Amino acid sequence: GAAELELLERLLGLPAGNKYGVQGERKVPVLQTNNGPGLTGLMTIASHLVRQAKKDQLLGSTAEEKAVVQQWLEYRVTRVNGSSSKEDTRTVLKDLNMHLEDKVYLAGNIFTLADILMYYGLHHIMVDLTVQEKEKYLNVSRWFNHIQHYPGVRQHLPNVVFIKNRLYTNAH
Amino acid sequence: MGFGDLKSAAGLRVLNDFLADKSYIEGYVPSQADIAVFEAISAPPPADLFHALRWYNHIKSYEKQKASLPGVKKALGKYGPADVEDTTGAATDSKDDDDIDLFGSDDEEESEEAKKLREERLAQYESKKSKKPAVVAKSSILLDVKPWDDETDMAKLEECVRSIQADGLVWGSSKLVPVGYGIKKLQIQCVVEDDKVGTDMLEERITAFEDYVQSMDVAAFNKI
Repeated sequence: GAAELELLERLLGLPAGNKYGVQGERKVPVLQTNNGPGLTGLMTIASHLVRQAKKDQLLGSTAEEKAVVQQWLEYRVTRVNGSSSKEDTRTVLKDLNMHLEDKVYLAGNIFTLADILMYYGLHHIMVDLTVQEKEKYLNVSRWFNHIQHYPGVRQHLPNVVFIKNRLYTNAH
Repeated sequence: MGFGDLKSAAGLRVLNDFLADKSYIEGYVPSQADIAVFEAISAPPPADLFHALRWYNHIKSYEKQKASLPGVKKALGKYGPADVEDTTGAATDSKDDDDIDLFGSDDEEESEEAKKLREERLAQYESKKSKKPAVVAKSSILLDVKPWDDETDMAKLEECVRSIQADGLVWGSSKLVPVGYGIKKLQIQCVVEDDKVGTDMLEERITAFEDYVQSMDVAAFNKI
């Protein structure tokens, strides 16, 4: 929520100083603005920050790319949150693993906000996966390892280790 | 090293296995390594080798920028899985970046003939070598040291790196290279005696400066 937005601010090179709050049971982040009620919602605030930093390419360039980015941001907000059950988590990993089979980034060939927020959202899940699970969701592991090495993304978050030697070579 | 004959199905399978857990041939950004391998492949890999196909389509999207990608094109035999098992993965220290191992490991089958030929050649090479006066094998390595963020004190980071002393290690020139988002990485040259200093040791000692160093990569490695 708010912590992610602070990480995103630093990644984007924005000056610190934005004030974040949370709203309601589900702890939806709110960005306090000078006038009015403020901006609500992770996706909304994140996209706003990207535009503020003039890094619009992170939202996609073509109409199709933009739509795919929005799709994964929506997925992130609705399906990947702190209160997911074990089963929900498994479904998410399965979905992502299938989607990433033929893509390097969520939106295909370019790094976007979708990759950033999905990385932050999945971090606490990936940190706890066993070696076997990391191999089972091989494409997610590959993508996650790639994103965590992208300059400025990981910051102080712990590095998740992915073993080079695949122990279960028939796990596809 | 190498993938075997990339124009054959077997070679493509080695490439496919190699790319299962990697986005690129070397490191985490597209480089001349990817271009070198891409150019060795005559057509898109078949759909059942989906890791290779994913990589192929991705690198194809960089076609226009291929000349400006980082790195230096090396012989194909320098890329790909190594013969030796990689055991750097099981790290208990969460800071241990095992991404420096540029070449993943895999099983490489070697036919009896090829093995014999290789051993013959090795024996020949050894006898030739023993006749020459001992020349110290040295390498020039260019390291990329990445800080945590744009607020990291790069002067202090460089000081820490240069403070690493070892027999057979000489530090050279360095410069700061912007990598985006206001962050600069330290690119520093060093000359090492191959027998005494390896990139593993360098990585261990550099990443030990946890307060400043996020990770280290070998940007270039040339034998002198």
